[in-house]
Amino acid sequence: MSEIAKKAKVEVYPPQPVPTPPTLTKRLILNLMPPVILGIGVIIAYALVRNSLPPHRQFLMPSAGGLWELALGLPDFRRELLARTGVTIGIALTGLAVTIPTAIAVGIIMFRFYTLEKAIFPFLVALQSVPVMAIIPLIQSALGFGLAPKVLIVVLFTFFAIPTTLLLGLKSVDKNILNLFRLQGASWWVMLRKACFPSAAPTLFAGLKISGSLAVIAAIVSELFFLSGEGGLGQLLMNSKIDFKYEQMYAALIASSILSISVYLLFNWLGNRLFSHWHESSEK
Amino acid sequence: MSSSPQTPMEAPAPGGNAIVFDNVSMTFPDGTEGLKGTDLAIRPGEFVSVVGPSGCGKSTLLKVASGLVRHTGGEVWVDRAQLGYTFQDATLLPWRKVIDNVALLMELRGYPAAERRRIAQEKIELVGLKGFENSYPQRLSGGMKMRASLARSLALNPAVFMFDEPFGALDEITRERLNDEVIEFYTREGFTGIFITHSIPEAVYMSSKVVVMSARPGRIVAQFDIPFAYPRHPDLRYEPEFSKLSGEVSKALRAAIEG
Repeated sequence: MSEIAKKAKVEVYPPQPVPTPPTLTKRLILNLMPPVILGIGVIIAYALVRNSLPPHRQFLMPSAGGLWELALGLPDFRRELLARTGVTIGIALTGLAVTIPTAIAVGIIMFRFYTLEKAIFPFLVALQSVPVMAIIPLIQSALGFGLAPKVLIVVLFTFFAIPTTLLLGLKSVDKNILNLFRLQGASWWVMLRKACFPSAAPTLFAGLKISGSLAVIAAIVSELFFLSGEGGLGQLLMNSKIDFKYEQMYAALIASSILSISVYLLFNWLGNRLFSHWHESSEK
Repeated sequence: MSSSPQTPMEAPAPGGNAIVFDNVSMTFPDGTEGLKGTDLAIRPGEFVSVVGPSGCGKSTLLKVASGLVRHTGGEVWVDRAQLGYTFQDATLLPWRKVIDNVALLMELRGYPAAERRRIAQEKIELVGLKGFENSYPQRLSGGMKMRASLARSLALNPAVFMFDEPFGALDEITRERLNDEVIEFYTREGFTGIFITHSIPEAVYMSSKVVVMSARPGRIVAQFDIPFAYPRHPDLRYEPEFSKLSGEVSKALRAAIEG
């Protein structure tokens, strides 16, 4: 034994029992409690701020009772809210129906032709940096008051995220996977379909998720300047403000948030269904 | 030769060899010389390992042989019609089940679906992955992924099989088992093999010939015929003759590194 051996300081470490997996109720509580607690906190904060307002300004923050009596409790208003939500969904979906295929095509074209990527990308960035709100009056003058200007606004809001995420995904394909295809003499088109596109799909999906939630916001914004006719939630927001019906305005806000969150959750669920078996980004 | 480098011509390689490199050089666009004056001849049915210092151009040699990169000087003869190729990692498509990964190259080659399925199933059983046909690569261990990758190439019934350091990332036990499995496929299917590795025992154990490359730009500086008969037994690694050969290869490699 070595002369300079270190003195051992022996301690005993007891075993730790195998932890039992948490029950379903426990997991539900663990998952739901944090947002519920934070939600209660927000409601309390809302109440505190409301109570600190002088009475003549309390109309800015309607109470739950007021919200029910003057908005959500009225069957006519509920019907109107539902119909307007439908209109907003319609605008958002029409916009996405234009954006998604066009944006995917632009992403693929940029991937295929490096020169075109160099040409198009700066304009995508420029388009993204244009304050859409500021050009809505211009769009209105050019395209009138129908569906077309609103769809264009949704497209302007939602376009950017898709070609950029798709291009990033397409460029990140494992180089050896491409080599594998090249060794068999596969064409560019086959490589795109069988290697690049599936590999880029989860990244593209992240872009679709962003665009999807933005589409709802864009559909609401698109209506803020269009106050005639049977509009959607955006129009309701503006009209109820003009008529001092703040309870109805809050109801419209709640409806639009629910709509936005639903779109996000829908894409999340779809993404998990599509990719969870192979992509690490998905939740288990 | 009158053919331009862009248009390969069907021509038997000199001396009836399966692969011939005649004074081949490969200069990258940035001026780096990957290969310079490389001569190599591989007979049909030979299993040749290439060892060399890291960064010497072993992988470049294989990429030139497979056609993934084009050489810039000299001449290359090779049969690429049925080419097996494994990369340093398994390169499985993570969104495809094992069976669809194994069938991929046949799919690219236009085999009919039923035949693809039959051959894929057969090769999956051959590499010992029966029961994992419908698993996704994510669920497989490193060794199993490599087996799937080997099965994918074997499905093409390759005449030439190129291995680019396929087992470098695996643990030693898995690696030695896969060495035996590759030898088994080799003796069964009779392909011509080129195996890149930086492990001298692996090179000597598997090959009928070991060639040593110099530091970059890579040239072939020594060749060793390995006299052991196939199939080989793992205990071969502990025979004196094996150690002697490994020592000679090692000495040649050290000389190659020191220039």
